[in-house]
Amino acid sequence: MDKAISVQALTIAYGAATAVSAVDLDIARGKVTVLAGPNGCGKSTLLRAIRRLHQPKSGEIRLGDLPISGLKEKELARHIGLLAQSPSAPDDMSVEELVRLGRYPHQTMLQPWSAADSDAIQAAMFGTGVSHLAERRLGSLSGGQLQRVWIAMVLAQETDIICLDEPVNHLDMAHQIDCLDLVSRLNREHGRTVVLVLHDLNLAARYADRLVFMKEGGLVADGAPAELMQEALIENVFGISCRVIEDPVHQRPLCIPIRNSSPRFGTAPQV
Amino acid sequence: MSVVAPRLSPALARVNRRAWIFVAIIAVVTVVLALCGIGFGSTWIDPRRIVEILMGEGTRGERVVVLQLRAPRVAIAALAGGAMAVSGYLLQKVTRNELASPGVLGVIGGAGLGVVIFLALLSDESNSLVTSIVWQPVAAMIGASLAIAAVFLLSGQQASSAVRLLLFGIAVGAVCKAATLILMIVGPIYRTTQASRWLAGAVNEINWGEVQVVAIGLAIAMVGVVAVARRLPPTDLDEVSARGLGLNLPVFRILVFALASALTALAVAFAGGVGFIGLMAPHLARLIIGRPVLAGIAASFLLGAIMLIGADLIVRVLFAPTEVPAGTVTAVIGTPYFLYLVLRRGSTNG
Repeated sequence: MDKAISVQALTIAYGAATAVSAVDLDIARGKVTVLAGPNGCGKSTLLRAIRRLHQPKSGEIRLGDLPISGLKEKELARHIGLLAQSPSAPDDMSVEELVRLGRYPHQTMLQPWSAADSDAIQAAMFGTGVSHLAERRLGSLSGGQLQRVWIAMVLAQETDIICLDEPVNHLDMAHQIDCLDLVSRLNREHGRTVVLVLHDLNLAARYADRLVFMKEGGLVADGAPAELMQEALIENVFGISCRVIEDPVHQRPLCIPIRNSSPRFGTAPQV
Repeated sequence: MSVVAPRLSPALARVNRRAWIFVAIIAVVTVVLALCGIGFGSTWIDPRRIVEILMGEGTRGERVVVLQLRAPRVAIAALAGGAMAVSGYLLQKVTRNELASPGVLGVIGGAGLGVVIFLALLSDESNSLVTSIVWQPVAAMIGASLAIAAVFLLSGQQASSAVRLLLFGIAVGAVCKAATLILMIVGPIYRTTQASRWLAGAVNEINWGEVQVVAIGLAIAMVGVVAVARRLPPTDLDEVSARGLGLNLPVFRILVFALASALTALAVAFAGGVGFIGLMAPHLARLIIGRPVLAGIAASFLLGAIMLIGADLIVRVLFAPTEVPAGTVTAVIGTPYFLYLVLRRGSTNG
């Protein structure tokens, strides 16, 4: 496997609480990898750690062959783009202004604004279908439009790897599909490596080339959606008894939740 | 070699052009007000006459009044007001909070205390300094840095939360003000005008030497401001997004706080703790200018200058010949303005 990122024995702690413990994970170049798991399983922490926003307690993350700990901030930002879980920007900022920020890691004292920067912005706005909104204020956009603009900003960064932390959380169903179709197109047509954190297991199974299940900070299973979408495994990880059938439209596994199988809501099942 | 392309799209270029037109208008107002500031006094001097005197004409008497008495006062008001306003602009940007300002964050209090301790230690019986005045802004900077460092340490892990910074800033500022007051009462006795300066901020009894020190310090600090301005745009975003773009926010934040403290210290070193200009001027600048950063900084500086020249003019018109510190005017206007901002904000960027 051509590894875009490899995570080796990574442990991350917030004070006394361990958020991610001893995780090994390789992320394949040019694929869509989805991190899934119940609330608090450490999937978002792992994603942010991949972008070096958390200092590991132990272990290492490599970008190709290079440890990310040795890279400069802007250098790292030219390799990995990150869409935050709940990004925020001033309401009076214009769409174009936000997308321009994606070029920040490409600007240095010696490198003035270049045609490449303008091209990247145009391409990012075109690719996400927000070119016509360029002069609009962010405060005047709908939730779906706003999310597209944020994706355009990350796209303008022109990174090989794009990390998205629960990008469809606040969107309605139509915009969820719209947003994930866009991400999947970036992967297929532009060969970007995509790492997604998704809450919705069925969306995860539908869009992932590779699915990673996490629970209580550890990695439980990782493989193709067809391998991982097993009733017993889902019950173990998510604490729901369920049936898994084949989605008749996309031929992907589809999980139908039946009931919470854990004694208390939101906790892991007692085995 | 990269291809040179227009830095801004037509739409953004339009916004930027409009911003600089407003800066030019504010600059004209500043100059007119400065001339009025010099012109007003026990005798009114016509602005055209002032320009002539500044160009080297005029009688000996006129030259003393304009060049020795009034011009330094207006000059220090412009520089100190401007420095505080730019300091406030940087702080509001980097904390993403329009309530942030050198006063609210305790920087003014710290700088003031630094100067008062310095004066107490290094003045002789006739209240004159035994060392060069160049050290006065240095003392202010030490005080300002210690105050902001204390605010940071107290905020601890949550130093990125603007609200915590503001709460501890208000507390640290209050402690510094109380200590200043105690020093004024029990320390070596200063002239009353001096006392009012360190308690409220004033620009009377300023000489060219002091103006020079501030001007040189400010010129150096402004180089830093321009360098920092290039990196300010990502700070408009949430912390994760800004860091995702490759801005080392924890380090950058400290850098900006240090620069803002230095600017405030330069202002406080000779003009004292003039309150609320660092809050009002940048806020007003953003209302008029909008989002362009460099134009916003320029407008903040000019509006800060206008506010302090204006405040000084008001106390001179209303209370002459009694010297009332200009800081009382900025406080009287600034306090309701601060309350208005608090009440208006609701939940933004909490």
